[in-house]
Amino acid sequence: MKLVHFGENTCARIRRYMDSYINNELLVETNHEVLRHLEACPACAAEVESRTRIKARLKSAVQNQSVPEDLQERLQAVLREDSRRSIAWTRWVSAAAAVLVVAAGLWFELPRWTRPALPDLADRRGQDAFIRKASASLSAVLKVGLGDHIHCAIFRKYPKNPPSVEEMAQKLGPAYQELVPLVKARVPEGYRIILAHQCGFQGRRFVHLTLTNGSSLLSLVITRRQPGESMQALPVSDHASGVPVYQAAAQNYDVAGFETDQFLAYVISDLGAQQNLQIAYALAPSVHQFLAAVRS
Amino acid sequence: MKRQQFEDAALPHLNDLYRTATRLLADSTKADDVVQDVFLQAWKSFDRFEVGTNCRAWLYKILFHVVNHHRRKWFNVRMVKESEEILDQVAASPEPIAENLTDAEILSALDRVPQDFRAVVLLVDVDEFSYKEASGILSVPIGTVMSRLSRGRKLLREQLEETAQSYGIGKGKLEGRTA
Repeated sequence: MKLVHFGENTCARIRRYMDSYINNELLVETNHEVLRHLEACPACAAEVESRTRIKARLKSAVQNQSVPEDLQERLQAVLREDSRRSIAWTRWVSAAAAVLVVAAGLWFELPRWTRPALPDLADRRGQDAFIRKASASLSAVLKVGLGDHIHCAIFRKYPKNPPSVEEMAQKLGPAYQELVPLVKARVPEGYRIILAHQCGFQGRRFVHLTLTNGSSLLSLVITRRQPGESMQALPVSDHASGVPVYQAAAQNYDVAGFETDQFLAYVISDLGAQQNLQIAYALAPSVHQFLAAVRS
Repeated sequence: MKRQQFEDAALPHLNDLYRTATRLLADSTKADDVVQDVFLQAWKSFDRFEVGTNCRAWLYKILFHVVNHHRRKWFNVRMVKESEEILDQVAASPEPIAENLTDAEILSALDRVPQDFRAVVLLVDVDEFSYKEASGILSVPIGTVMSRLSRGRKLLREQLEETAQSYGIGKGKLEGRTA
C-alpha cells in the first residue's frame, strides 16, 4: 500500500469540512475534494468514520428512549377539552353577540314600540289629539303634510289586495294620474303603491300616494300652498337637482318637504331620516317638474 | 374535522418531539409538560399553518420557543453566554473516543453539552434536519448552525471521552460492552 503524506494544512482544512461532509451539506466540488482526500488519508478517513459512528450511536440512543404509552392519549384528551372549551366559548360569544344585536334592535325599535296606541277610526277627537301630539315639534308648514299622512295612511285599514295602478290613477283624476307611474319608477325596488287618491283633512285638499315595502309606510303628500306658507325659512337638508329639500323629525316620523310656486310636497315615513331623505331626493326633481306644469 | 386534520398532521411527530424535548431538558417529566404545551400551542395556531408546508419543522420551532420559555422559568440561566464560556474551557481538540458506550452513557454525555450546542446536534444529527431547516427552527443564521454543530459535536466527543475515562478503561477495553 502506498502511503501518501499530506501537509497538516490540508488535513486541517478537510476537517473543517468534515461535519458538513457527514451531513451531506457540502457543495459538489467541495464534496469531491473531501472524498479524494479521504481516499488517500487514512487518519482523516478514520476520523470521518468515528464521527459518523458517534452520530449514528447518538441518534440510536435518543430514539431508543421510551415514550410514555399514554402520552398520545393524554394529549388527545387535552386537545378534545380545548376544542370543547373553544366551541363553548364560541357559542357563548355568539349568544352574547345575539343578545347585543337584540338589545341594540330594542334600543332603536323601542320608540316605535312605545308609541301611543292608535285611536279608533271612529274617534275623531282622539285622532286629532294623536296628530297634534305627533307633529308638535314640527314647524307649521311641515305639520300640514304629517297630519294628512297620519290621518290617511296610518289610521287607515288597507285592503289585502290594493286596487290596480290603473284604478288608483283613475281615482287621482286626470290632473294628477301621471304621478302614479312617475313615483313608481323612482322609489327603490321593493316598494309598491297601495293607495293613490285625493283626500281632505282639516279643510285642505291633498293628493296622497301611500307606498309600502312590506314593513313600513311611506307617503307622498301634495297640497296647494296657502298664502304666506313657505318652507324657505327651514334649514335645507340638501338640493336634489336644484330643488331644495327640507327635513325634520317628529316622534317616529321623518318629514322631508319641497315646494313649487303653487304646491307643498312631502315625503313622510318611519324609515329613518337617512332613508326617508334618499327617497325624497329621488322623487323631488321629477315631482317638482310635474307640479310646476300642473295648471291652477 | 379541523382537530382531526391537526391530529393527522401533527401526532406522527409526537414521539420524536418528546425524545428531543427530553434531551433538551434532560428531564422526562418536564418534557412531558413541554410537549403538551407545544401541541396545544400548535393546535391553537393551526389556522395559520399552511397545509403542505413542513409540519415537522413547524412543530420543532414551537418546541424551541416553549423550551426556551420554560428554561427561563425553571433555571433562569444565561444560555448563550454560559455556552460560550464553557466552550472556551474545552477548546482543545479531543482524543479519539470510545464508541461502545451504553445509551444511558451517551445520553448522559449529551446532557452535559451546553444547551445551545446540544440543540443543534439534536436537530441535525438526531432529527435529521438540514442546516437551513435548523436555522429556521432556531431563528439563527445558517453559519451559526454550522459553528454550533461543529462545536457541539466536539463537546460531545469530549464528554464521551470523559465517560470512558471515568471507567478507567481505554478505547480498546470498551469493546464488547453492550448498549
